[in-house]
Amino acid sequence: MGGQAVKLVLERVGHAFLGRAVLEDFDLALTDGEVVALIGPSGCGKTTILQIAAGLLDPLRGRVRRHYRRHAVVFQEPRLLPWLAARDNIAYGLRMNGIARDLRAAMVAQRAQDVGLSAHDLDKYPAELSGGMRQRVAVARALAVRPDMVYFDEPFTAVDVGLKRILQDLVIEAAAREQFSALFVTHDLSEAVRVAHRLVLLPRRADGTIVERAIAGEPGRRSERAIFALVEAWSADPAFRELFDGRESLH
Amino acid sequence: MAFFGWAGRYLWSAWAGACGLLCIAAAWQGAHEFYGSFILPSPLETLREVAVILPEPWFVRAAGETAIRSLTGFALAVGIGTLTGAVAGYSFAAMRLMRPVVTVILGVPPIAWIVLALIWFGSSGGSAVMTVVVAALPISFAGGLEGVATRDRALDAMARSFGAGVWLRFRTLTVPHLISYLFPAWTTTAGTAWKVTVMAELLSNTGGIGGELATARALFDIPRVMALIVAVVAFALLTEYALLHPLRDRLERWREAGLPWGVKR
Repeated sequence: MGGQAVKLVLERVGHAFLGRAVLEDFDLALTDGEVVALIGPSGCGKTTILQIAAGLLDPLRGRVRRHYRRHAVVFQEPRLLPWLAARDNIAYGLRMNGIARDLRAAMVAQRAQDVGLSAHDLDKYPAELSGGMRQRVAVARALAVRPDMVYFDEPFTAVDVGLKRILQDLVIEAAAREQFSALFVTHDLSEAVRVAHRLVLLPRRADGTIVERAIAGEPGRRSERAIFALVEAWSADPAFRELFDGRESLH
Repeated sequence: MAFFGWAGRYLWSAWAGACGLLCIAAAWQGAHEFYGSFILPSPLETLREVAVILPEPWFVRAAGETAIRSLTGFALAVGIGTLTGAVAGYSFAAMRLMRPVVTVILGVPPIAWIVLALIWFGSSGGSAVMTVVVAALPISFAGGLEGVATRDRALDAMARSFGAGVWLRFRTLTVPHLISYLFPAWTTTAGTAWKVTVMAELLSNTGGIGGELATARALFDIPRVMALIVAVVAFALLTEYALLHPLRDRLERWREAGLPWGVKR
């Protein structure tokens, strides 16, 4: 972990959709360079928290304080512009930030290399890329704006297991290299244990208890065996039971 | 270089179009053999007549008049229709209000508009232009409205996450999406514009190709009637395939990339 400066604070945040409370009095603080995994069963409001933190959704109650320069979001779907080649998709965030065209090219090339895209792939349109490649482009687009806070919203749910690992390693590497803080929403406990410093488990119901656990070691330095053992141990933990009972929340 | 490759392929694809046209010519020839020259002149006779009238000053003047009227009508219909449609697409209330209005306007036959335009504008070019605008505007309006209404909100959220303002989001997300909705509307409008202009000219007797058509009909000059019809169709085809389709191909090259047989740039 980097310094202890606080990057993001959510204070007593509450939200409801059509009168149904999904979130009540939720508090969260992220420090500099910290990666927090937000985990919970489906329908527990983890994506809502991410959207509120990223300013895509205004909370009904509570407040959000952001102490960072710039953020970026990696969504569950790649959300690429189908009419732009991969190169221009990666440059999209830079363009929105008003970076001149000739400066963008070098940044794009660098990011493409970081996420393992070849120069040849950069000229392809999203329709010509595989699912994994598209998500790589999405990650490159987010990293290209040099964010000091990145929001990941179940980014690797749709890719196969082997590729998932590669993409997770890519995120871990980038976080260590660029020292950004990140909120990583996932429903996969082993993914959370692999990428994060700390884990926040949301209950299914808004009035349930929130569980917080620190994960020993640095992301990327934990052995596969340690990750597996921790996931195994937590699977048996009653606090994590809701994550595995497979029921959708009852509305 | 890429441009010439594309232009070559575009011209080459004209063969397929020519085949379709030649099928029509064959059917036409068949009908001619059956009914005789007086009822239906053969394609060859018609083409000869076209060659005769093309250089004549009266034809050039008439075609020019018709072209100016239909282009003015097209520009007005597309401009106003697209703009108001796009604005209405942003508002659910406007959308609800305008949908039935569009249906009503589309339901009124162009011929009825011509009668009204004749009463309002008299026998001038204005009535042809107005008829084109009224007949073609709802199509562009509907295209603009649907295009904006069906914009991808997920992409919008993505752009907002990068701090993009309303104008930037409109320019980079909504406009490219809108174009794919507008092109079919524009090609239909272009075709309608020619047809409606000729019809309005014929009925209001205000010169142009429609006026010539009325004269030829009065003189029972069947080859000339056919030649004028062929000329109008040729103009409509030219607008569509020489103007709108190349433009669309250039703007929507990314669609080609998604085609399964993978004909790439």
